[in-house]
Amino acid sequence: MTAIDNRSSVECAGRTITRQEVEDFLYAEADLLDHWNYDGWLALFESGARYEIPTTDYRPGWSPHETGSFVDDDWPLLLARVKRLKSRKAHAENPHSRTHRLVSNVRLSAHTASVNSTNGTEHAESTEDCFRVAASFVVHRARDGRFDAYVGWYEHLLVPTEDGLRFRLRRSVLGHESLAAGARLSFIL
Amino acid sequence: MGSNPRTAPAPMIVEDWDQLTFRVNREAYRSAEVFARERGWVWMHTWLYLGHETEIPNPNDFKARTLGGRPLIFCRDTAGEVHAFLNSCPHRGTVLCRENEGSTRLFQCFYHAWTFRNNGEVAAIPDAGAYESTDEFRASMGLRSVPRLEIHEGFVFISFDPDVPPLLEHLGDAADYMSMIEQQHVGGMTTLPGTQLYGVRGNWKLAVENAMDGYHFAPTHNTFVGYLRESGYAVTDDNQYAYNLGNGHGLLVLTGHGGRISMIWEPRFGEDERIRTDAHRAEMTQRLGEQRAHHVADESHILFVFPNLLLFDIEGLSIRQLEPVAPDQTDVRAWQLVPRNEDPETRALRMKTVVSFVGPGGLATPDDIEAYEAVQRGIQATAGSGLPELDFSDMSRGMADEVKGVQGRSIDEGAMRGFWRHWVDAIGLDDGIEVNGERPASFLSGRDVR
Repeated sequence: MTAIDNRSSVECAGRTITRQEVEDFLYAEADLLDHWNYDGWLALFESGARYEIPTTDYRPGWSPHETGSFVDDDWPLLLARVKRLKSRKAHAENPHSRTHRLVSNVRLSAHTASVNSTNGTEHAESTEDCFRVAASFVVHRARDGRFDAYVGWYEHLLVPTEDGLRFRLRRSVLGHESLAAGARLSFIL
Repeated sequence: MGSNPRTAPAPMIVEDWDQLTFRVNREAYRSAEVFARERGWVWMHTWLYLGHETEIPNPNDFKARTLGGRPLIFCRDTAGEVHAFLNSCPHRGTVLCRENEGSTRLFQCFYHAWTFRNNGEVAAIPDAGAYESTDEFRASMGLRSVPRLEIHEGFVFISFDPDVPPLLEHLGDAADYMSMIEQQHVGGMTTLPGTQLYGVRGNWKLAVENAMDGYHFAPTHNTFVGYLRESGYAVTDDNQYAYNLGNGHGLLVLTGHGGRISMIWEPRFGEDERIRTDAHRAEMTQRLGEQRAHHVADESHILFVFPNLLLFDIEGLSIRQLEPVAPDQTDVRAWQLVPRNEDPETRALRMKTVVSFVGPGGLATPDDIEAYEAVQRGIQATAGSGLPELDFSDMSRGMADEVKGVQGRSIDEGAMRGFWRHWVDAIGLDDGIEVNGERPASFLSGRDVR
């Protein structure tokens, strides 16, 4: 038996977050990235957040701490990445790529963590201050006379704050078997 | 001897000891004829890196992989033996195994259902009675093994030529640097899942040059060097050397580029890691002796094993395999090699640190890729210009020291010259290299072999 959850909203930190609110957040994010506004983009993260891109052989459940990745940025590395991308010396993105992003298939769910009880059994427990967002992306990228498309899924953790939603984890999972020639991830996916 | 198209333009290399110049014909990166020679002469007659034994740890594990454009099955049979088979049904040539990886006792061709055990023997041919001499026929129809397979310290090499010298002879002085890697940790090393698979729009030899080229580090990786400085670690090019190890193999010995997880601590690794690093270093000294522990722990190495293996033994350890696809396109596969037994916190720090530098999403490798792709585009400028003397790239840096017998620095181009001299022999071109003047005695004595 398969039930389709109602994912038009999620309860988190005593608030009801709607899909429309999350979609607006993701569209605004795409706009910032496509216009190379990296300071604006970084402001969408809570301090201490992470940015991850697993490799194309990724299987659900893999931890970046135990496997190879394309991107495994903790907060200091994410700051270094943004600083680098804003520099003229980020040669792989100078001149900048032109990107165009489409985000769709947005679904919300409660963030649950497996917790071992004292009796040894596992149960799912809702953590209170963040929730999960799944979405599909297509990022088109033009550079060096070539045009590449990147497709995949977002698996984000978002935190509702007074000032709006913030990323705690921003993860892009590629749908490719491998990265095509020239399709290196020198920009934000 | 493989394909042998009409002779490519010679010379590919002009080495001049009077002018102290070393120049490489840009056709080497562009020409379809040169590429065909590489496929036919180099890839068909040399040991090639296939993969690491730990990628197929259990009986029945397999990986599908392509080398020299040939689809292969890299597997461990039910009895635990490692094999490499052509991934092609002996019947009509169908790709037999269409999964990238998995575990199986039997490989079955979907086309006519011929079935093979993972040691290569025929398991079943449907309606075998239709063949006249069934047993004999059956015996002749096993999976085609690659002619040679040998393993050194877990690194599995194959050759499509049955007459190559033994692997250790080919590896020569490179072999011990691979042993040093295995000796880094009690219990040895293992590969992890999470393979970086990516293509580059550049000739494979540009990837080799880039790895053996310390000269590009500061300008190309300006932003990464800045990150290291800000995290409290000085970066220097002093006392860093390049070595030609013979047979086309090369080595950079680096002491100034960042720390090494569990070997050389630096501030961005944190205080807990300092304590673990000290303990590990003491354990190594006890196990290996001070001199060996020094070479294993205190130096970073970038080792190139001709023609398709690069070992980045730097902050962590990346295995990188090069698969030329076309003159201007290369597939790269990279695995992280880690201690089999490792504290989870160190492992997490290692993965983060390694990935921050290497790979197509790191803070440094994309700039390297940009460099080789930019070379590939730029060298069109002098192609067929009617001025062939302009159509050469210069790799003379450090030759003046080479004549004096001074050890080549990592920021010179000596390791690249060693690679190119071997390459021009390996592609079997008469007149492939033009040598003007006399190679100095200091050079001929092999002074730069460590």
